[in-house]
Amino acid sequence: MRTSDVIVVGGGLAGLMAAAVSASRKQSVTLLTFGSGSLPLASGAIDFFNADNPEVAIKQLPDTHPYAKIGSKARDGAVKFLCDVAAQANLPYNGRLSAQIPVVTAVGTLKYSALVPESMDASKLAAKQKVFVVEIKGLKDFYASMIVDNLKKYFPAKQFETAKLDLKFLGGRDITCMDAAQLLTDNEQPLANELKALNAGGDDAIILPPIFGIAGNFSRSAVQTQVRAEIFETTCLPPSPPGMRLQRAFMKYLQNNGVKFFENSKVIRGVVEGKTVKGVVVETAVREKTFPARKVILATGGFYSGGLTMREFDKPREPIFDLPVFFPEGADNWSNVQLFGDKPQGFSTTGIFTDDSLRPVDSSGNVLFDNLHVVGANLGGCDKIFERSAGGIAISSAYKAATV
Amino acid sequence: MSDNTKAIFTGDRCLSCTSCMANCPVMAAVKEYRGPKLVGPAHGRMHFSQEDIEESLNYCSNCKSCDRACPSGVAVSTLNMLQRAEYYKKHEHLRHEDMLAHGERMAKLIRMMPFGATFSNIGMSIGKTLGIFSALGLAGERNMPAYASTSFKDGFKRIKQAPASKKLVMFTGCFINDNEPQVGQAFVKVMNANGYEVLIDEGFNCCGSPLVVTGFLDEARQHADNNVARILDWKRKGIPVVTPCTSCSLMLKEEYHELFGEHEMHEAAQNVYDAFEFLEILQERGEFNENVKPLNQKLLYHVPCHLKSQAIGLPAQNILEEYKVAKVQTADAGCCGISGNYGFRKDKYEISMKIGAKLFERVKQQDFDKVISDCGTCRMQIHHGTNIKPVHPIEILAKAYA
Ligand SMILES: Cc1cc2nc3c(=O)[nH]c(=O)nc-3n(C[C@H](O)[C@H](O)[C@H](O)COP(=O)(O)OP(=O)(O)OC[C@H]3O[C@@H](n4cnc5c(N)ncnc54)[C@H](O)[C@@H]3O)c2cc1C
Ligand code: SF4
Ligand code: SF4
Repeated sequence: MRTSDVIVVGGGLAGLMAAAVSASRKQSVTLLTFGSGSLPLASGAIDFFNADNPEVAIKQLPDTHPYAKIGSKARDGAVKFLCDVAAQANLPYNGRLSAQIPVVTAVGTLKYSALVPESMDASKLAAKQKVFVVEIKGLKDFYASMIVDNLKKYFPAKQFETAKLDLKFLGGRDITCMDAAQLLTDNEQPLANELKALNAGGDDAIILPPIFGIAGNFSRSAVQTQVRAEIFETTCLPPSPPGMRLQRAFMKYLQNNGVKFFENSKVIRGVVEGKTVKGVVVETAVREKTFPARKVILATGGFYSGGLTMREFDKPREPIFDLPVFFPEGADNWSNVQLFGDKPQGFSTTGIFTDDSLRPVDSSGNVLFDNLHVVGANLGGCDKIFERSAGGIAISSAYKAATV
Repeated sequence: MSDNTKAIFTGDRCLSCTSCMANCPVMAAVKEYRGPKLVGPAHGRMHFSQEDIEESLNYCSNCKSCDRACPSGVAVSTLNMLQRAEYYKKHEHLRHEDMLAHGERMAKLIRMMPFGATFSNIGMSIGKTLGIFSALGLAGERNMPAYASTSFKDGFKRIKQAPASKKLVMFTGCFINDNEPQVGQAFVKVMNANGYEVLIDEGFNCCGSPLVVTGFLDEARQHADNNVARILDWKRKGIPVVTPCTSCSLMLKEEYHELFGEHEMHEAAQNVYDAFEFLEILQERGEFNENVKPLNQKLLYHVPCHLKSQAIGLPAQNILEEYKVAKVQTADAGCCGISGNYGFRKDKYEISMKIGAKLFERVKQQDFDKVISDCGTCRMQIHHGTNIKPVHPIEILAKAYA
């Protein structure tokens, strides 16, 4: 086995980004992942921080926060790099760190993110005259009237209209947005015809579930060029076409840049010599296989993805390198695991702590391995759900780890 | 790994995340398929107590893309195959299902007749012309794989090998034995060049993969029991079993145990290697014969689904490139669509061609000298979809050992 310059463990957003950035710097990269990561389930929008100006809010965070280790250079670099990767797959993204962009959710509320696919950027919604919310016959979990009711709370003065189109998608299973996106690909004309018939004008907007394909912006362009009103996509329940588009954009970039991408490959431990990681060991059905590397980036996700585990109560651990995981002590903090509460949760700040190069440290701050870097959801010290920072931390930590 | 890899125990780990569905090529191709049955948000953890049987499951091709996407190690595809077998407990098999499941039996019958292979190949083309294929439920658009006039195992006896202290048993697989003996010959040449004498065990059955996907689970179990007992015999003698067919190696290494859950299956599996996996292990031990000559070729590599599932990286690419035999570019165009005998069924032909379309497009760019793929049915599908005939990577390596 040839030694890779970089091995990335984990194929979620952080792992894909770490592999892509490493490959862009002419490193030989191998990515090992077990499971396809949470990107196909995610909205495709990248949240950096829940504040009107994320950039300013991030700079005020304490030193223990992952963003403080990552630094502003890596955050800016990550934003630019992600937009480039997406653009190369004809998937334009809008946004910057100093402001947030509204996105219409599947239920008609607005949520704000720093980076959003152009197709979901609802910045101009407020200025539109009339908004058409369009439901597709047979598509689950998308109700135009509910969306209108909720949007009216934001835009009381605006005119809304709902429509229900029959695109002949029925005649099989219940369809999800992913199914509709696949059925619509290369078959956009019936939808374009129906939308034209709405007679929406150049100052109007059309809101649809995210069904414009699972690759790039091709399907949306095919329809948008024929319709005067601007078309916006909402978010949806998983599997999520916008998340899949971003995943595919990354996969294409990795393929074009020679990254070796191995699925179904569960890393069970590292090969270490003193403070140096020499490689990682993958478990197959019957034997083990060692992948040697000069640098390892650990992007295995948090509790949800198995990057952190909790076999014993109060004893979370990182299963591959047995890295120390920091967490709030004692049962008191645990009783209040209320996932979407109004305070940061002790549980969800649990994770690995690092130095400024994102290398794991022990409780006294000593670096444990010189060439191991930790990125994404398994970083500790902040509540990514509460702060709405998961995506931003994933891509900017990955950028940092790949460039130090 | 322990007994918790048995498929029916893995269903409990399902998080209903839908990743399996997001990665299923058949769901992407047809809306009639409702997707993996016993897992995912639609069905929860209903297990086998459930009475009704999901008919649309017959769309599943057992390509295993779902398993590879799952973050929780659920054996999604094997659960589907177990459900399919349940279905056939109450439903008759169709004639073409019987035929496709028993390729091994057919090949034997044909070879027992004088000039059998020639006649049957003529018969195949007459059958096709007269629409008999179609009437049987086979895809009339396809050429049935032509039978070689001498099977690999029959021809094997005439291969002269220097006796060596290092031995391995070759599990030929039906396709190589009956249809592409040249792949088997290349395998022998490569292993000989690496100091191994190749043995054949006439007592092996078909690995059972075509039986599993057509719901003949009891028969597959008999094959498994026989093969496992023989592999354990070889294991006791310290002789590994190696196969150049990725669907056979996956079946022997992983699927027997997933399906039937006997501990011996796992023990036997430890003695089974895919051909290039074996060569890579020799390389790691410093025992690989590096005396190869560069062929100055550019190869396009279609990585079979059943190799991706084995989590052994890409040993063929590694070896061909490491010793500068050839430049290898992966096709990265997804599943070829054929999935064993799936694409041979009349009602699945179109689906299989739709799934393969991306790969065909890639191959038709023709920016390479040859296409390689470790799986026999993938090679057939690529040939059918592009008119370009791929080879097994071991044929390339055999050429490099002048
Ligand atoms: C439903 C959902 C919606 C989301 N929506 C948004 C959103 O709107 N905006 C936003 O910014 N973020 C969102 N996120 C979060 C976003 O996707 C995060 O960036 C992500 O969770 C963190 O990425 P990650 O790569 O660190 O971890 P993950 O995506 O969890 O990936 C970790 C990967 O590592 C693999 N792995 C784990 N252990 C091993 C091992 N031992 N060997 C090999 N591989 C291993 C896992 O299987 C997985 O593939 C959402 C997440 C989910 C689940
Ligand atoms: S084995 Fe293939 S066809 Fe069957 S459910 Fe899984 S991904 Fe779909
Ligand atoms: S990918 Fe795995 S965990 Fe997710 S729904 Fe499918 S079987 Fe369940």
